[in-house]
Amino acid sequence: MGYIVISVLALLCLLPFWLIISGSFSAEDDIIRDGFRLVPNHFSIDAYKAVFSNPMQIIQAYEVTVGLTLTGTILGLFFTSMAGYVLSRKDFKYRDKLAFFIYFTTLFSGGLIPWYILIVNYLDWKDSYLALLVPALMSAWNIILMKNFMKSIPDSIVESAKIDGAGEFTIYWKLILPLSTPGLATIGLFLGLSYWNDWFSANVFITTESKYPLQFLLYKILASAAVLKTDIAGNLGADFKAPAETLKMAVAIVVTGPIIFLYPFVQRYFVKGLTIGAVKG
Amino acid sequence: MKKRLFKLLSVCMAVAMLSVLMSACGGSGGSGSPEEGKSTDSSAKEESAAVDDGKPDTSKKVVLNWYLLGDAHADTPKVVAEWNKMLEKDLNATVKLNFTTWNDWQTKYNLLLASGEKVDMLFASSWADFFKFAKQGAFLDLKDLLPKYAPETWKEVPEQDWKDVTIGGKILAVPSTYPEYTPDGLVYREDWREELNAPEITDLDSIEKYLEAVKTVKKVTPIKGKAWNEVNTLFHNYYDFKNIGGDSGVIVAKSYDTPRDVVAYPFTMEFEEWVKRMKTWADKGFWTSNTLSIQQESGDFIKTGTGAVYWRNAPGASGFIADIEKNHREIKKMGYFPFTRFHNYAVPNLGINNGMAIPKNSENPERSLMVLEKLRNDPKYYNLMTYGIEGENYVLNDKGAIVSPPPGKDPKKGYGIASWGWRYSKNEHPSSNRWEGEDKLMEEFKAASRPDIFAPILMDYQPVKSQLAAVNQVYQQFGMPLMMGLVPDVDQALENYRSKLKAAGVDAVLAYVQKEVNAYADEKGLK
Repeated sequence: MGYIVISVLALLCLLPFWLIISGSFSAEDDIIRDGFRLVPNHFSIDAYKAVFSNPMQIIQAYEVTVGLTLTGTILGLFFTSMAGYVLSRKDFKYRDKLAFFIYFTTLFSGGLIPWYILIVNYLDWKDSYLALLVPALMSAWNIILMKNFMKSIPDSIVESAKIDGAGEFTIYWKLILPLSTPGLATIGLFLGLSYWNDWFSANVFITTESKYPLQFLLYKILASAAVLKTDIAGNLGADFKAPAETLKMAVAIVVTGPIIFLYPFVQRYFVKGLTIGAVKG
Repeated sequence: MKKRLFKLLSVCMAVAMLSVLMSACGGSGGSGSPEEGKSTDSSAKEESAAVDDGKPDTSKKVVLNWYLLGDAHADTPKVVAEWNKMLEKDLNATVKLNFTTWNDWQTKYNLLLASGEKVDMLFASSWADFFKFAKQGAFLDLKDLLPKYAPETWKEVPEQDWKDVTIGGKILAVPSTYPEYTPDGLVYREDWREELNAPEITDLDSIEKYLEAVKTVKKVTPIKGKAWNEVNTLFHNYYDFKNIGGDSGVIVAKSYDTPRDVVAYPFTMEFEEWVKRMKTWADKGFWTSNTLSIQQESGDFIKTGTGAVYWRNAPGASGFIADIEKNHREIKKMGYFPFTRFHNYAVPNLGINNGMAIPKNSENPERSLMVLEKLRNDPKYYNLMTYGIEGENYVLNDKGAIVSPPPGKDPKKGYGIASWGWRYSKNEHPSSNRWEGEDKLMEEFKAASRPDIFAPILMDYQPVKSQLAAVNQVYQQFGMPLMMGLVPDVDQALENYRSKLKAAGVDAVLAYVQKEVNAYADEKGLK
């Protein structure tokens, strides 16, 4: 009996996804006339045609996003875990001060305009991948999470390694990192997702179309389809009118498709990693 | 959400730290100012050098950083490359053309102008906050530069248009020269009107008869999407209530002829009459009961044969009808009723409805202005930037109209970017597949044209900010359903709406607007 209830519930959870899929394959006119249906009245791939109207663009955007996600996750994990490790060592003199300094950033911020001025005017990263990569590498939240995880590793491991003559970096690299896999997996997933989903930095900093990451490119396609319907576009000569309703669904599928496969691989670490993050400070 | 917040916060702190570091490293005092000082220095030098031989100095090669609204077309890089070849030869300059994309372009404008990024020219417009930025001092005063670096433009832009962009004695933009009328109106299915023998649409009663016929005979909900715009603009235009001071919501001038007569319209007899009428319309099913929450445009439903009426301004209607004529041939005939016919006058847009401005931090304002001069006045430059590459993106037919894309080419070759900023009627070519009725409409508007006296009233609502916010809240919550006839008892809802507005402080807002309007009317010598 229990199994039946659970199965029905699980199926119900899948329903919205199915609606998205069927919506993305429906004809635009049907959706306007009758709304979304479980089985499309008229099968149509117009929405996908609109998304892939320029396939090179999508491929480029995939390359950018995958590249950013990989480098961002690997570098971010490296830096975050180093910071977390240092903060977890009780014999580090400025531990509390530094921890407070990092924690403090979660309470106050400079705002969007100073951030923009820094990146554009001082670092000169406008229209550069660095603007997409660097700001998201480390976050206070992740560092605190990492620190708390590493605190659970007994100090005696560090001591024993020292007695055997290991240097600080060797201890970190050979002993602490392998013991922190659940934490690393969790934060890796956070980082990966945040890089994968990040459209805002591209929106603000990137002006060259070939440098757009996937999320932003698709967001832009949607926005353009919406703008083409408004009065502003009354004079725009663009002849191409995208099917706005089904386009949303197709875009959702194109965007979420690949990253969804990441979950099964890291999910087993997830619960453990998260519970550790529950204790702050 | 939390994670985002954390991320943002941490990034910001990192920025704060870094900027502290930076300014410390910079050593000699303020971080940005030395550089700024240098750039104005050099441009001043350039200018003085130019004055000497009486001709603009173009010996130094420069790259100009331009920004346009919206998205680039797939062929834009090719077009710009072509364009830069010509520019380099003529003016020893090239332009890096950037686009904001349509996503959050308002935010981007704020960032571009607030951060002092070195932009040499950007699209400016009254509807893209030109006046706000101008007041904040974001744009460069062009008064002295114009006669020298853009003499032809200086001569040919009408006096009135320069006045529109003169704020505090400074000329802050180059407006486009393209007289435009964008009055509201209704697009409707003329073929159905003929079929149903409904009277020709000339006033509110005929509109009602038409809607009724569509609803009862055709069994079609006439305004099926969000009907708010249709009803709201119809209301304002029918009673000649003029929106005033931008975002004031319920505050209007009672008529064009009496600009000083400012009222909060929910307290008028006209409004009472109107909402009673709208209640009957809603009850008859002219729109659906969830119309306020629908996000779909009524126009979408016309295309699928399940709607009949759509609100558009005149150029928007023209585009919409042209699209239907081309892609929905089962719809035989569309009609357009501009609301200007209620009172028989039309108001042209301000000169700065579209234009180009140079931000204060531009490194080469002179050269940028020279490029704009070329772009506006030289048809070769104008056509290339506006319509794309001839033969590839467009051809001119025998009447001088644009055929885009050229016959036999991929439809994606049809060119279009937001080129409105430099539009100049002398060089502009109409589109060959435009709706036939458009020219006639423009003639009608021109004949009934009266200057816009309301748009230049720019209000800073700071003193009544909280009241305005409260009023807008009430407007959304109680005013909109009332306007759409979606209340069980009109009298009661009206009374409730009025008392809620009073409580929200509508009187304070009204008094403030009245004061500002009086000051403006005194200054301009209006009655």
